[in-house]
Amino acid sequence: MPVQGLRTVTSARNGVGAFILQCKRLDFHYCNHGGSSRGMLAFLTQTLPEFARENPQIEVRVAPRHGKHPVIKGQYINGREKAICVRNMEPGEILKKAMILKDASGEKLKRTKKPVTSLNESVRGIWSPYHGDLRGV
Amino acid sequence: MATSIIAPKRPFVALPFLLPSWTDALASGSRRYQSSYRRTKQRLRVKPDASFGPSSQTHDHIIHNPPSSAPSVYHTPNKFLPASDVRRAMRTEKPSTTDANALPGVYKTEAERKYHLNPSDIEEIRTLRLADPMIWSRHKLAKRFECSPLFIAMVCEASPEKKQIQKQVLEAVQSRWGPKRRMAREDRQLRREAWGRDE
Amino acid sequence: MKRLQLQRWSSTVLSPRARTSNKLHQHLYSASLRHQSTVAPLQTESPTQNVIEDASLDLEDPELKLRLDSVHKRKSQLKYPSPPVNAAAESAKLAALHARLYLPSRLPLETLARTLVDVSADPNADFNNESLATLGHDLLTYYTSEHLLATYPRLPLTVIFAAMYAYVGPKTLAAMSKEWGVDVASLPGGEVDPGFLQFKRVEPGTDLSKATKGKGPRPYAEAKNWRKTVTSKIFYDDEFGDPIKGSNEAGAGVPDELARATAVRALMGAIYLHSGRPAAKLFFQQHVLSRSLNISQLFNFSQPARDLTRLCARENFEKPVAKIISETGRLSRHPVFVVGIFSGQDKLGEGAGASLLEARERAALAALKGWYLYSPLNVRVPSSMEEEGAAPWKPAYVDLGEVIS
Repeated sequence: MPVQGLRTVTSARNGVGAFILQCKRLDFHYCNHGGSSRGMLAFLTQTLPEFARENPQIEVRVAPRHGKHPVIKGQYINGREKAICVRNMEPGEILKKAMILKDASGEKLKRTKKPVTSLNESVRGIWSPYHGDLRGV
Repeated sequence: MATSIIAPKRPFVALPFLLPSWTDALASGSRRYQSSYRRTKQRLRVKPDASFGPSSQTHDHIIHNPPSSAPSVYHTPNKFLPASDVRRAMRTEKPSTTDANALPGVYKTEAERKYHLNPSDIEEIRTLRLADPMIWSRHKLAKRFECSPLFIAMVCEASPEKKQIQKQVLEAVQSRWGPKRRMAREDRQLRREAWGRDE
Repeated sequence: MKRLQLQRWSSTVLSPRARTSNKLHQHLYSASLRHQSTVAPLQTESPTQNVIEDASLDLEDPELKLRLDSVHKRKSQLKYPSPPVNAAAESAKLAALHARLYLPSRLPLETLARTLVDVSADPNADFNNESLATLGHDLLTYYTSEHLLATYPRLPLTVIFAAMYAYVGPKTLAAMSKEWGVDVASLPGGEVDPGFLQFKRVEPGTDLSKATKGKGPRPYAEAKNWRKTVTSKIFYDDEFGDPIKGSNEAGAGVPDELARATAVRALMGAIYLHSGRPAAKLFFQQHVLSRSLNISQLFNFSQPARDLTRLCARENFEKPVAKIISETGRLSRHPVFVVGIFSGQDKLGEGAGASLLEARERAALAALKGWYLYSPLNVRVPSSMEEEGAAPWKPAYVDLGEVIS
């Protein structure tokens, strides 16, 4: 057997070809009677239809939760969930929170220490002491 | 200044910094002190390569500063480029500074190839090996016909009985191995397989 | 070349239930399709009305009528093994998936819903994704193989099989569908949201290798000790060098990975049928070819030095010789040797290792990879000629073939 092939799986590079928005679903929970939901109710009636129209990739669900503060929950492709409580907020602030959830990747927030994270090899290769201009001793 | 005046009054062994450096290295290995820091630093200060410095040329040019890294496999050697490929003409590689013939070989002596055996010799090798495999082993045949044992293996095959005996001998030897030796052999085999995958 | 009107003939592949856009077809088919028991009547006449009329109930109370309607709707949904076509337009999940993948607007939601129904969920060929998946699989493997052969014309066949598997193998396609956010329904049924992937799961403990009936095209496949050459794999085996199995038994479940892969293939076929070749190719480039694969890591050599000698003999190069370029610590515990393989004065490859033998093997391997991974400039694939206004075709570089020893 001269040479065998090793089976692997290609790894995704989101955004290199197509970009898949990582936020899958947004759940808007509100209460009909609670005072903290007043801004949320206004948001649901005024801003949400336009928000949903601008972001067709996201499935939007609106559901009442009686006697609780209003909450926006985002479901992500990696299976995680993020929730933001929007009690006593104005519709404009709620829209900002919804945008935060929309733009999130779903991963836990991490501090990035390297300026570049890449799957590609470095152009100049890994430095080796045995290459380059060798000097005779 | 103070030390130089006091020094003669004391024995040299008590003042190790006055001894020559080789005795120091012998006594306590090479250590760096605050006093020797400057000297060490000066020795390490090597002039950078000329290609890093500001160029004296006025017109535009390309600075070629090849990486000090192992070559990439995606870079096809010039010899492997097909004749129709334009890169063959474009890559005017400077003649390599090292002559390939001057480099030392991996093997101490390259076996000389003679190509002196006839078909009749090969027929004889086969009959001898089949007739008495215990006497005419690969090495004995190689010695007699002045060729390599590898060539004998390429030309003929041992009889099934001989193979069976050899297998039993190997098993008997391996049964005496302890866990350390067995694991070492297995690891060696695994490492060897890893070379083929370039790991 | 005249372009085909895809919208017209693609409708023959789709089910009559999925034909929503074409009023003329609806009109033509509405009379004849009544008699088919498996095909649902079209939207012009809802099944609930018929039932209600037959029962001759009192329909004075509008609330009762509404409730009855919903009950009958649910009953009609349960009648079918997969969700009805009119549910597709109401599914938020499906619309979100359509937008998330930037699918062309000519691909209707109904077809997208059909690509998510596996054979094991709905055995009716008019409503499952089997036919679309067959087309999509052919397209995916065609585009991948032409890309691989044009970009790396010297790749050995075993490595091509491995690269094909890496790009469009079932594992990769299943991972892709997960990264698209396609969720799986626990059990298929008519009442399920059509945005879920629907298939029947394999019973735990089933032996997957024995679950198939019939046999593949390879003759004497049962003979265990027969040598299977790489060349015979081209004729008898599938695109990844695996033996082709017979079809699954009716009613048997499929593994999650296979169902997901089939759905992705079906989507590719659906895009081709509804939006044509350019859209399908763009989809392939954006979702399959854009993924990262290091082809140089797919090689597994057993005797690289011997192969390199054969190669040089075949190509009339000088015999390759291993020479030490540099070394350190020969007598220490951790020596490093850098060995180069030279053919005449030209260096073919080099490698570093802890022993002379290892360095030589690695150098020979680097040289062989240098040969196999040759890539011509300005690569063009044959299917680029199908575009309008394409430049005249120049013959692509074709290699002699791999080194066989």
